[in-house]
Amino acid sequence: MKIDTLQTVELAEGVEIRLPMAGPAARSLAWLIDILIIAGSILILILFTTLLGVFADSGIATGIYMIGSFFIYWFYFVFFENGKHGATPGKRTLGLRVVQTSGTPITFTQAIIRNFIRAIDSLPFYLIGLTACTSTRRFQRLGDLAANTVVIYTKSEHRPSLPPHEDLKALPPPVPLTREEQLAIVTFTERAALWSDERKIELANHLAPLTGATGPAAVDRLFSIGRWLQKSS
Amino acid sequence: MNRKQFEKENQSRWEELSRILHQLDEGQSPVDADKLPSLFRQVCNDLALAQYRMYGIRLCDRLNQLVIAGYKHVYHTVNASFETFLHYFAVEFPRNVRREWRLFILALLLFWAPFGALILSAYVNPQWLQAVLAPESMEMVEGMYGKGERSQIEYVRDRFGSNFAMFGFYIFNNVRIAFITFAGGILCGLGTMFFLLFNGTFIGAVFGYVHFAGDTEKLYTFVAGHSAFELTGIILAGVAGLRLGLSIIKSTRFSRKHALAKGAREAVGILYGAATLIILAAFIEGFWSPQPFDPSLKYAVGIFFWVLLALYLFLAGHRRHSHET
Repeated sequence: MKIDTLQTVELAEGVEIRLPMAGPAARSLAWLIDILIIAGSILILILFTTLLGVFADSGIATGIYMIGSFFIYWFYFVFFENGKHGATPGKRTLGLRVVQTSGTPITFTQAIIRNFIRAIDSLPFYLIGLTACTSTRRFQRLGDLAANTVVIYTKSEHRPSLPPHEDLKALPPPVPLTREEQLAIVTFTERAALWSDERKIELANHLAPLTGATGPAAVDRLFSIGRWLQKSS
Repeated sequence: MNRKQFEKENQSRWEELSRILHQLDEGQSPVDADKLPSLFRQVCNDLALAQYRMYGIRLCDRLNQLVIAGYKHVYHTVNASFETFLHYFAVEFPRNVRREWRLFILALLLFWAPFGALILSAYVNPQWLQAVLAPESMEMVEGMYGKGERSQIEYVRDRFGSNFAMFGFYIFNNVRIAFITFAGGILCGLGTMFFLLFNGTFIGAVFGYVHFAGDTEKLYTFVAGHSAFELTGIILAGVAGLRLGLSIIKSTRFSRKHALAKGAREAVGILYGAATLIILAAFIEGFWSPQPFDPSLKYAVGIFFWVLLALYLFLAGHRRHSHET
């Protein structure tokens, strides 16, 4: 069962990497920053061309304004996403990046596809994009689907480094566990510090048949098993 | 081997890769960049081991990040060179257009059918023109192509100021129409069809109104020069959008997702050319079309461009030995 937003991609090197997909919330914020930058640049362009129109040729000024705003509107996203960071300033601020579904940087054509189709995704109030985003496995809007791209987090979330319960004794599990089961317990011990005590107990109680305990004792018992599993492997 | 030993033994390798990647990110060229591929593959190996041996999220995450960062440098795509650019216009674009001849005919009909119908209505039932054009548009059309002595170029100059301003406006407006016509294809082609019909209707109504109330020579001497590139450009943007839409509806032997991604790539292969034609048209429309030359010269130039464009689209890029499918 999937409970996180990591997408596993297998590389040619035979190893699996996990891409942390970015959802609509972070992307909306990034978009908000970008749209402010776009509005700001248009404003500067207006100021510049107005001055040019007053002191020089107004026809040239109108032409520059038209062409400038055309490029800002259609190529702001393309320019930055095709660039070195694969992200617009807004996306960079939020720690996002556009990549192909395989994890490689996107091509110019992909940047064109995903950002021109933005014209449809953004209709009405980005409702089309949002609907597509929330109903696809990798949070892809229509432009992403057509360009075969995804938006990922560049940094994984900050995880507190845990003092690995040194005071607890390492105990072997009472029955042999499969790899997935072992991994689940190890992950539990590593992530436990992120949760409240109640949550830990709630989760640990599910394993009462294994730990033979409930409540705080079950949590401690799981930690002990986790320690044993990490030591033995 | 436990995690601590594993980390201790391989720490230096991870740090080295991390440093090289960081330098590359910063735009520097590290002296030992040639070690990147082998280091990258070793770290891939480390990640696989760490995952298998359950060395924990922290270490796996760290290696995962390192591999993702390395992946993007090892497999980075090379941007188009001048040669690919030339090759596109000499070979690929006309070939792509010919490959989509069925959609080309469909786009042609979607655009020209309302266009023709509205010109006809100038002689049969001019109310249709009023239904399409707002009063301001009719006023503008009369200003540009009306029966008076005043030339249309004076009217346009009054409105826009200069040739360059008009050029800017044509880029802003016409290329935008092309891009939106393409983007509309994602709605299973319906958006594209709408924009083709809409533009055919609107431009048809303008032409029809000139036939009805204006001076057709003023109109046709003005549009002759850029008509080939502009109209073909709009129709080809339509072809690109229809290709995008059709790839969703008719996914053939691919999954719908793959068909869409493939169709989008093919569509953009036409869109680039379409946009170039429209930019070309904007140049002509901005700087040539307003010139007060003799009508016969302007018609001759217009016909010349139509013939040139037709020859290009029909003949360019044929190869005796075709390696591609």
